[in-house]
Formats: sequence, C-alpha cells, structure tokens
Amino acid sequence: MRVTNSYVGKQEELKWKKVSTRKIKDKIANGLSYVVLGAMIAILASIFIYILNAGASHVTWKMLSTYGNTSSGGVLNAIVGTWMLVGMGLLFSIPPSLLGALYIVNAKSNGTISMAARLFTDVLTSVPSIVIGLFAYLVLVIKFGMGLSLVAGGLALSVMMLPYLLRIIEISFRNIPKEQIENAYALGADDIRVASRVYLPQAKVGILSGILLAVSISAGETAQLIYSAGFNNALPTGFLHSEVAYLTYVVWTGINEPTAYSHYVAFASAMILILSVTGLIIISKYIVRRK
Amino acid sequence: MKASNRVFNFFTFLMAIVPAVVLISIIVFVLYYSIPSIRYNSWSFFTTYLWNPGFQFQAPIMKHGVLAPAGSAFGLDLFLIGTLSTSALAILIAFPVSFLISLNVELYLPSKIKKVMISMIELFAGIPSVVYGLWGIVVLEPLLFRNVEPWMAQHLTFIPGFGGEIYSGAGLIASGIILSFMIIPIVTSIIVNSFDTVPMDVKDGLFSLGATKWEVGKYLMTSYSRASTVGGTLLGLGRALGETMAVLMVSGAVTNILPHNFYSAINTMAAAIASLLDSAFTDSTGMNLAALAELAIVLMLISLTVSLIGRKIAGRGVLRGYESD
Repeated sequence: MRVTNSYVGKQEELKWKKVSTRKIKDKIANGLSYVVLGAMIAILASIFIYILNAGASHVTWKMLSTYGNTSSGGVLNAIVGTWMLVGMGLLFSIPPSLLGALYIVNAKSNGTISMAARLFTDVLTSVPSIVIGLFAYLVLVIKFGMGLSLVAGGLALSVMMLPYLLRIIEISFRNIPKEQIENAYALGADDIRVASRVYLPQAKVGILSGILLAVSISAGETAQLIYSAGFNNALPTGFLHSEVAYLTYVVWTGINEPTAYSHYVAFASAMILILSVTGLIIISKYIVRRK
Repeated sequence: MKASNRVFNFFTFLMAIVPAVVLISIIVFVLYYSIPSIRYNSWSFFTTYLWNPGFQFQAPIMKHGVLAPAGSAFGLDLFLIGTLSTSALAILIAFPVSFLISLNVELYLPSKIKKVMISMIELFAGIPSVVYGLWGIVVLEPLLFRNVEPWMAQHLTFIPGFGGEIYSGAGLIASGIILSFMIIPIVTSIIVNSFDTVPMDVKDGLFSLGATKWEVGKYLMTSYSRASTVGGTLLGLGRALGETMAVLMVSGAVTNILPHNFYSAINTMAAAIASLLDSAFTDSTGMNLAALAELAIVLMLISLTVSLIGRKIAGRGVLRGYESD
C-alpha cells in the first residue's frame, strides 16, 4: 500500500490520480472521434457502392442510347436534357457573376454597393430550391408565357448557380497579388484592360473550378426544374414552349413507379448522376490544387 | 476617363446588382401571388393543421372579397412541425458528429491524410438529393422499419413518443438522418476552418505545459471557435430547413394527419410545396396556388432569417462545404 501519511506520498497519489483520468479522457475522445469519422466514411462508401452497384447491374447500352419515359425506353433524352439545362443555366449565370465580381473587387467601386451585393449574393444561396421553382413557375412559365421550357428551366437553375459562381470568382480575384493590379493601373491601363489582361488570365483556374462546381451542383438539382422544365419523351424542339427531360426527374419518378423496369431506369440514372457530379467535384479540386 | 471605360464600369455595376434584383423580385412576386390566400385564410393559416383543397366541381365561394373553392381551408401547422422537427433532429445528429470529426482531423489524425479525409466528408454534400432519396427508400427505410424502429419501440418506451405503432420507416427519423448527411460537410468545414485559425504558438504553449490533446481541444480550440461553431450550425440548419427532394421521398409526405409518435409519417413545408403544386393547378380560382405561395413565403422567411443570423455570427461561411481550399 501507499504511505498516505507522508506529504510526498499524498502528492504522488494526487498526481497519479489526476494524470490517469486526464489520459483516460484523452483516450476516450481519441477513440470516439475515430469511431465517428470511420462510421461516416463507411456510410459514404456504402451509399456510393450501393448506388454504383445497383446502377451498373441494371444499366444497358440500349438504355443509354434510346429516348424514353420513366417506364419504358431509355434515358438518352434525360442525359442530353440535363446538360442542355445546365448549359442554359451557365449561359445566364456566367456573365453576371463574372462582371459582378469585377465590380465588387474594383477598388474604385462604391463600397456600400459592393458590400450589399455580397450580402444579397450570400442570402440568395439560402433561398430554398423549391421556392425558386415556384417563382419560376408563377413568373417565368405563366406570367412571361415561356411555358415549361429550356429557357425557363435554365433561368431557374441560373438563380441557384449565380451566387455560387459570383462568390467563387470573387474569391479567386481576391487571391491575385494586389501589386500586379496596382502596377497595371500605374502603367496607365484602364479598367477594361486590367480586367482582360490581369484579372481574367490570373484567375482563370479559379473561375474554371467555380464553373465545374456550379455545373456539378445544378446537374443534381430537381426542385427548381419540376415546374419549370417539365418532362419530355424526346429532345426539346425549341427554346420556348417545349419541355425538357432531366436525370433527377427520372430518379424521382422512376423509383415511385410500380414496375421493375422503372426502378432499373432510376438506378441507372442515379449512377450516372453520382458519377458525373462527384467526378466534376474531384476534377475541380484537382485543378485548383495543381495550380 | 474614356467613355468605353465608363460604359464598362456601368455594365459591371448593373451585373453586380443582379443577385439583389433576383432576390427582391422572388420575394415581391411570391408575396404578390400569396395575397388572396392571406386575405382568405388570415390567421387560421397559422393555427390549423388541415390542408383542404376544397371541392373543385362546386361553385366557388366568396370570402373576404376573394374567390375560393367551396370547403377549402389551409393551415401550415403540420408542415411547420415537420420542418422544425426534421431540421432539429438533423442538427442534433450533425453537430456532435461534425465537432468530433473536426477535432479528430485537427488533433488526432496524421496531417498527411487530413486533407483526404476532409475531401471525403465534403463528398457528402456533392451527392444529389434525389440520390439520397433513392438510397433512403431502398436502403434506409427498410433498415429502420425492420431492425431499428422495432428495437426502439420495445426498449425506449420510457421516453414519451417512442412507444406505439411503427408504420413504414418513412418519417421523421429517416428524414432527419438524411438531412444530417447533407449538412455535416457544411458544419464540419466551418468548424475545421475556425480550428485552423488557432495560433500555433498558443497551441504549442499549452502542449508544452503538459496538456493532453483533448484538453487543448476542449479549452483552447472551442474557445477560439465558439462563434463559428454556432454560426456554422445555423448555416447548416438554414440548408436543412429548405431541403426538398430527399425529404419528399423519405418523409411519407402526409397531409391532414398529425404525427403521434416518432415513427409517424410527416411532411415538411418545402416537400409540401413540391407535392401539392401539381394538384393546385386544377383549382380554377387559384386559391390553392396562392396558399402554396404563402407557404413558400413563410418558409423563405424562416430559412433566410436563420441563415442571416448564422452568417452574421460565423462570417461568410462556406457555400456547401466543398470549396474550402
């Protein structure tokens, strides 16, 4: 037994007790955090493996190469339609985000307006996607008479892409060394020249990765498109009044339909979606890191 | 200054105010379309849980100066309960998980694989919400229904609401779990970013005094990152409140039946808008559409307020979690 009467012995005992509980607490935190991290990675892996496996076992070349609806035929119309909608969304969101970011980072701009623009951009990211969809239906489809169409769907997607793009482009503009911009102005360049010769070339990797991210996010969106793009068994015939098919709709309605074939179509579409979306995210991370 | 330059600057100014114009027009237009519903339902919109589209084939009635289908009544309580409870459950799961992951990544994990782990967690945000919904329907719901919920109903009956019948696995628990997967990357990357701001010398000082890693995390890191942790959680909550598709697929999307235990099917405001809009088109008076617009306004009000408070506390935060480089 310990000698508890002596002063040294008491100190020893106290120290021993204290150190042990502290060490144990550290060990518990260590173990618990590893368990949680491991569990999350396992869940992520299981989702990926499940979707990829289910998709790969039901996808056929015929499914990928023919038009169809969710209960018969293929998904080619949905694949092409998704990229048409995403392209339309980029068309509407790249110009305002690029030029808006130039205004925000320009030192000669009105500071209050720049700050307000940034605030509104951030707030716009938190508008629920179904509210954007409802707005697109009420205003674009009905009031402006676009009908369920490529343009209405593209505009609805661009409402979501715009704030993401604007912020990522703004951040990549801000990462450019200040001296370069100041030197360009000191040499007598005007704003157009500084924008085209300094900002754009220097930030092109950041802009590209932002565009890839925006594409990956919007390719996986559904709620904005249900009531602005509709669905089509073939490709759209024009920009207005012609509905467009997209992959997320096929996943959503396919799994809710009673036939086995529509489930297969849903799994195949989910596989295509998850592969293209995560592929784009990884590429965009890779090009940023390589820089 | 040259004229072309002035034109260019004016053009960039116009483009910079596009987000503001879009946001304000969304609010104004949706509010404008909800006016008939505000007049027709007045306060009963917030006090009842029944959502009754009315009889489409009877003559419409006139009330408070607006036309509406006979027998129609609209109340958001059921959807509000669903939105708040699913988001609360999502935060309840996501916050401790994100906190422990951030702690692990900052303190315990070898720094070589830190970036890889963060990137993997961020991939959760990249999975499209319909894919989550699909996975929820075919994997999570059967798992909950066959294995988890029967066990809970048997062993956790001492907690109110945990006893009673099990329905299908679709409902609060499935929705909360899937929502938590969506917001874990957001909360995690905000907490990790704020942990990174802790000065190295303070950390090393504490280590050299003999503190364990857990103590450095508990006393130093959390005190540095308290604000961003709260703000990041609020930003995650703001996203959970507005999530539509995954919740629509795994919540059961019920109307007019209040949940009576934790296993009941529920519905959220966002999911209700998506699922009820289709039938609202058939209403010739437009009242169903107006009521959904009012629902959208309330949803937007809640989610924008939460996100704005989160942004104020945490700074600008991150967009979805995966652009933190």
